[in-house]
Amino acid sequence: MNSNNRQPAALLSLILLTFLATAMAGPAVVVEGQWIREAPPTSTVLAAYMVLKNTSDTPLAITRIDSPDFGNSQIHRTVVEDGIAKMLPVEKLQLSARGSETLEPGGLHLMLFDPLRALRDGDTVILVVHDDTGDSVTVQTPVLRNTEETGHAHHHH
Amino acid sequence: MSTPRTYSTARLILKGVIIAVLATAAGIWSARLVLQRPAVEDELSATRFPVARDVQPFELVDHNNAVFDNAALQQRWSFVFFGYTYCPDVCPTTLSVLNSIAQRLQDVDEDIRFVMVTVDPQRDTPERLAEFVTYFNGDFLGVTGSDEGLQQLTRQLGILYQRVEQEPGSGNYLMDHTAAVFLFDPDGRYHAVFSPPLSAEKIAIDFRKMLQDTQ
Repeated sequence: MNSNNRQPAALLSLILLTFLATAMAGPAVVVEGQWIREAPPTSTVLAAYMVLKNTSDTPLAITRIDSPDFGNSQIHRTVVEDGIAKMLPVEKLQLSARGSETLEPGGLHLMLFDPLRALRDGDTVILVVHDDTGDSVTVQTPVLRNTEETGHAHHHH
Repeated sequence: MSTPRTYSTARLILKGVIIAVLATAAGIWSARLVLQRPAVEDELSATRFPVARDVQPFELVDHNNAVFDNAALQQRWSFVFFGYTYCPDVCPTTLSVLNSIAQRLQDVDEDIRFVMVTVDPQRDTPERLAEFVTYFNGDFLGVTGSDEGLQQLTRQLGILYQRVEQEPGSGNYLMDHTAAVFLFDPDGRYHAVFSPPLSAEKIAIDFRKMLQDTQ
């Protein structure tokens, strides 16, 4: 009988907890599959790739992604127009409600300028993803030597 | 009543057919004139010339400081890409694809070379190019040279490139550049072009077909 009486209270707590958890969950942006392409030792420009997910029910925009290991960074989109490859800066990367964007070789990518230390395959770099609600997410990002798997496996259809 | 109608219908159809044929012919003719491009062969993802084209004289320098000119294109097949070392996305991606092609063609009994010609000779010294291209494959060759030398080669291939300044005062710039991979045959002639998106698998298959056709 007691357990039966407790059920509504338990349910209420659960709802309250869920609500609190959602309210206090912090950034709506989740970063997955992030990696930085290892470049030859003297390279001063590297590229990072990842999937950015908006876990909230409202659209938001990624305003910048920076790193304490690099002097500067910028989100770019590679486009091929009439056979010419161009890189266009992306000021704000829009994520629809519950939507996502994929940064991958030959498309959207994070350009990382002026590495402050030598980065080799197996190293880890901190990236901080900022959105237009003022939140930010910090992720550990591995440096990987580009193989066909990392570069192109996603494109096999 | 029915006879003239049939007659006129037939005439109308005939007229239509003639117009369609003429329009198609005119379309093909003008498209060839405008594009100056070889016909695309259905079975290949590459665009191959019915007859390989001679390459007009050019002179550049490779990453070992050796002359890279028309003679350097002879005696072997050359896959040539035009890029630059300060390129973070397209060029590393393309060089990875070229490396994958090299792996896939290892069993082919032909001398095949992979070359990246820089479109940014101001920054890409032979030393810098050497480090960049050999990072992807120890046998890859980097080529640079004077602006004139570069234009001698790029103009005849229809390759475009231009400098795009980044934030003012930063001194950083990027290059827009033709993303295709060009194939030269062992006679040093322009044989085919592979347009993006580049697939190592498809290019390797196409190359084997082309080899069969030339033997």
